[in-house]
Amino acid sequence: MKVTVKMIGSFVYATGFSERIFDLAPGTTTDELLEIVEIEKSRPMIVARNGQAVVQGEKLEDGDRVVIAPIFSGGQAAGPH
Amino acid sequence: MFGWTGTILRVDLTERTFRKETFGEEFAHKWVGGRGFALKTLWDELEPGVDPLGPKNKFIVALGPIAGIPAPNTGKTVVAAKSPLTGGYGDGNLGTQVTEQLRKAGYDMLIVEGAASEPTLLYIEDDKVEFLPAAEVWGKGTYATNDWIYARYGRKVGVLNIGQGGENLNLYSTVRSLEGRSGGRPGMGAVMGSKKLKAIVVKGSKPIPQADPKTMKKLGAADLRTVHEMDKKSGWSKQSTTGILAWCNEVAALPVRNMRKTRHSDAWKIDGERLDAARVATYGCPTCTMHCGIAVHDREGRESELDYENIGMLGSNLEVFELDQVGSLNYLCDDYGLDTISAGGVLGFYADAIDRGHIAGDFRFGDGEGAKELLRLAALREGDLGNLLADGTMRMARKIGRGSEAYAMHVKGLEVSAYNCKLCPGMALSFGTSPIGAHHKEAWVITFELNQTVRDSYGRDKAQKVIELQRIRGGLFEYIIACRFPWVELGWQLEHYPIYFNTITGLNWTLDDFWKVGDRIYSLMKFFWLREMPDWNRKMDYPPMVWFDPANADADGPIAGKILDLEKYDGLLDHYYDLRGWDKRGIPTRKTAAALDLEDEARQAEAFGRLED
Ligand code: SF4
Repeated sequence: MKVTVKMIGSFVYATGFSERIFDLAPGTTTDELLEIVEIEKSRPMIVARNGQAVVQGEKLEDGDRVVIAPIFSGGQAAGPH
Repeated sequence: MFGWTGTILRVDLTERTFRKETFGEEFAHKWVGGRGFALKTLWDELEPGVDPLGPKNKFIVALGPIAGIPAPNTGKTVVAAKSPLTGGYGDGNLGTQVTEQLRKAGYDMLIVEGAASEPTLLYIEDDKVEFLPAAEVWGKGTYATNDWIYARYGRKVGVLNIGQGGENLNLYSTVRSLEGRSGGRPGMGAVMGSKKLKAIVVKGSKPIPQADPKTMKKLGAADLRTVHEMDKKSGWSKQSTTGILAWCNEVAALPVRNMRKTRHSDAWKIDGERLDAARVATYGCPTCTMHCGIAVHDREGRESELDYENIGMLGSNLEVFELDQVGSLNYLCDDYGLDTISAGGVLGFYADAIDRGHIAGDFRFGDGEGAKELLRLAALREGDLGNLLADGTMRMARKIGRGSEAYAMHVKGLEVSAYNCKLCPGMALSFGTSPIGAHHKEAWVITFELNQTVRDSYGRDKAQKVIELQRIRGGLFEYIIACRFPWVELGWQLEHYPIYFNTITGLNWTLDDFWKVGDRIYSLMKFFWLREMPDWNRKMDYPPMVWFDPANADADGPIAGKILDLEKYDGLLDHYYDLRGWDKRGIPTRKTAAALDLEDEARQAEAFGRLED
């Protein structure tokens, strides 16, 4: 199945591409995709599939568009406790 | 008292006099600096209902204990006054050498009163204050004015100045400093202009009083290196804030066509990658090691420094998708001293009104050349059209009528920053409840909202998050004064700020102490509104109505057919008020005021509107 992957901001330089079509095995999950595109898992990031945030382990489908962005804005972990 | 100079410089432009005043620990600890100092001073000293463009309004430059200390991103200054654009308390922050120079001159705050009869330059050097003629540069843009100042005083001084926008009382004109940025979206430039104050130049030579300067010096130097390394490792400065443009386009949150649309197939032409590729120079504020100002050549070959907000509002919102053309519009705003966000909002609204047949005109979306001419008219207030455009979206809509208020993209009179919230209830709440109008600086909740919540949800968690972020962004960073980007973009821990604060002041504050100051400031800003607008109601905390209009839903894409729900937004607003301890109008209760040590202010506010228990 064909999945388009779009990198945002600094991830363009970290992965060496801005947008690319990947030919993936059916049933590939977003987590597996992150390994394929070789982004350090420890980097805080937002992954969206067809414009919507994904849940962990979400399965991809043919024709999907996946956008991977470094986290913008503090407030994910930090903040008043 | 360490950390504060404890001294205010009060200048009267009418009388051409000045005097030093002191303040004590109580004021310092209660209001800390920046936004806190400015707000409390305006509350105490302004007559209710005062004309924001009259001599009785006051223009304030306020600093805080961390401001100007060599540590990560401390080069910010707050400028404030009663806003001519919104009618409430207005302020903004900008990076400038004024921060360090004014502190070294011995002052934590400058209060400018009255109005000069001739264009004036205020020169401050330690104890010396001079009122100098500025007729030579009156009518000139900020670049020429800065050059004129540098030629006289060298480049080591701190400069705040205005362009033609401020001189002509354009209501969204800003204050500019060429050593950094612009600031003061709610018309702070017009307040300077109304006082015929073209520029403030500051030079200082005294040490800034600190409890433990040696430790702070070591700490600051090490942390500056660390932040720089974090930035390099993350690669953030390659695109800086403009990385967000492509993301907003992908998730349907980009301002396009006066926010009628949320995405555009040409958005890539003005995104962060294109910007980085076209970069000709990089700029930053003083004491910053993660410079975020990316300059490109504009269509006329001038350097223009872009960030996300100005590309979003002068680019995609106007459907201008040529980077050099966006650069030209941005350059003109900077030179005239107009706020880029509001200018993009105003022109987008004007094009939309023409498009909908609500006003006659030949300006169209995508017309970059036409936009340049309109910016000129707006800055100079030339003719009827110039006057219409110079008054901002809210007043334009009142004049145009015909239902145009519904798509006038502002909150409390301040134009919406570059996030299209058709399906971002939390971000819409952030814009709605921002006490100075729709400014992204108060609580930028959009990535949390899309990543960690169900996007189309209106739960208490979203209201809570907006408040948490307001405490940090609209609170801590605005009154302690520092740039929020190391924390926002690099994950630099907030805990560093109490450490700096305590090292400088000798106090022992925790983050909780800071949240209380932030809540106090937010509550007093609401009292300020009540005093100016006794018929205040919760609708002042609503985002633009077009975001609730099903006819305005996207036809395709990730949020096709969906739009905000007014009833649910009202529920979200109730959660927000409840968590803040405010009544259903959005005004702090007596109990909340007491808990925040605002009893006196609450009593004064009661003269204008009843408070609930
Ligand atoms: S990150 Fe940008 S806005 Fe913040 S201090 Fe640095 S240059 Fe200024």
